[in-house]
Amino acid sequence: MRKLVLAACAMVAGASSAWASDDTDPAEQSVARKDRGEQLAAERVAQTAKLDDNSTKRASFEVATYADSDHVTVFTPSIAASIENVVQGASLRGRYIIDVVSAASADVVSTASPRWNEVRNAGSLEATYKPKTFGVTLAGSLSSEPDYFSFGLGSEMTLDLNEKNTTLEAGFGYGHDEVGRCGAENSPAATVQTCTSFGVFSRVINRSSFNFGITQLLGAATVGAIVADIGIENGDSSKPYRYVPMFAADVAASAPLGASYAWVTANRLPERPLEQLPLSRNRLSVTGRLSHRFDGSTLKLEERVYGDNWALFASTTDARWIFDVGKRVGIWPHVRFHAQTAVSFWQRAYVSGPAPGWDLPVFRTGDRELGPLWSGTGGGGMYLYVGSDAEPQKARFTVQVDGMYTSFLDDLYLASRSGVLASLAFQVEL
Amino acid sequence: MTLKLSLLAALTALAMGCTHVAPYERGKLAHPTMTDELAGGPAADHVYAVHEGATGGGSIAESGCGCN
Repeated sequence: MRKLVLAACAMVAGASSAWASDDTDPAEQSVARKDRGEQLAAERVAQTAKLDDNSTKRASFEVATYADSDHVTVFTPSIAASIENVVQGASLRGRYIIDVVSAASADVVSTASPRWNEVRNAGSLEATYKPKTFGVTLAGSLSSEPDYFSFGLGSEMTLDLNEKNTTLEAGFGYGHDEVGRCGAENSPAATVQTCTSFGVFSRVINRSSFNFGITQLLGAATVGAIVADIGIENGDSSKPYRYVPMFAADVAASAPLGASYAWVTANRLPERPLEQLPLSRNRLSVTGRLSHRFDGSTLKLEERVYGDNWALFASTTDARWIFDVGKRVGIWPHVRFHAQTAVSFWQRAYVSGPAPGWDLPVFRTGDRELGPLWSGTGGGGMYLYVGSDAEPQKARFTVQVDGMYTSFLDDLYLASRSGVLASLAFQVEL
Repeated sequence: MTLKLSLLAALTALAMGCTHVAPYERGKLAHPTMTDELAGGPAADHVYAVHEGATGGGSIAESGCGCN
């Protein structure tokens, strides 16, 4: 009934409009027709634009947890969203991540401190515009902890050549970190409430990075890429909580690998200075990636070689072989191997002179990741498409579990560490 | 020197493998598993960054952390 009334009203309105226009001046009718034509054209453009809204919107959620034999646990939920329009060449991506860290590691125990808890919030935003063969990406990121604040800005340009068989990329990034301090003297961070204001105590680290890369199609099923990263850091990155034990020369020579906290306490000298690292660091890494699609599986390989002016050299190899198991499921094994040398000023046990001068080594550290080590990772993952029959890949669950083992080759407190990293992610295309 | 040799070897390998792949021949390259989406997520990236003394190959605008 309501439709009938509306239809009748429309007919009456149309008839009266026609009658009215018949009674007007021809010049006015011409203007009215022109206005009506423009209106119709605008409506058509709007409808066309609506029909051509071929942007792809994605949202994802991931929750991950890490635990190791050094009594460190990390719980990491994150969300991400993106919108991408392939036709216009524009995309926007954002991510927000939280790290909830709880630690009673050797580093914490060696300072006679209780279990340490901390939350890190981090977000990033990235926009790309690539209408044809040339594209520009602008990116920004922010990270905040009670005793550490950091932001980064960057830009990258890409150029497609030879019908997209080759893509060149070049980028620049700048980062600014402020290192603060929480907790009482001689202890690591305790709680947010006891943190010293950044205005009272902070150290600044400025980071610049440059990257140059090339991606090349190597066949109808193979793509390779190589990228060089240069990093320049200026500032004092020494940990304000890390105290380095000092030893007499004869004791240092006999310090056993992985010496216990009790052994160190019984044999060290009274002086225990804070860590001191060099105030600048230049890094260079070259990363190569290769992906090949077989019939029913995809192999992905990555190799990174790294060197810096602290004399740390490293190699990292990562491999993942993804096997299709039906239309909706894929599984893969994953292995990763990392090995590195120590920085030039690394010592298992540092030697200092007698009191009162002590004659401390200029540079000293207890950061195990600056010492010689190797680590192996092994595990796997599975994806499950849960979208419609027509487009199953529009919604996906991914689960990954990796076991990690690290051997510290020349360290106090710890000779090895085992850990597990597990993650569950869900991504949907809206 | 090792880095330079590695770079040279990789570039040479890429150059030797250069073949022209027409757009209509890229069906396998467009398979969803060929993207980086199934690589480790942000948590894995973060764990590796903290546990390994090396960096590189990541995003252009990374923020740091006081993690190790």
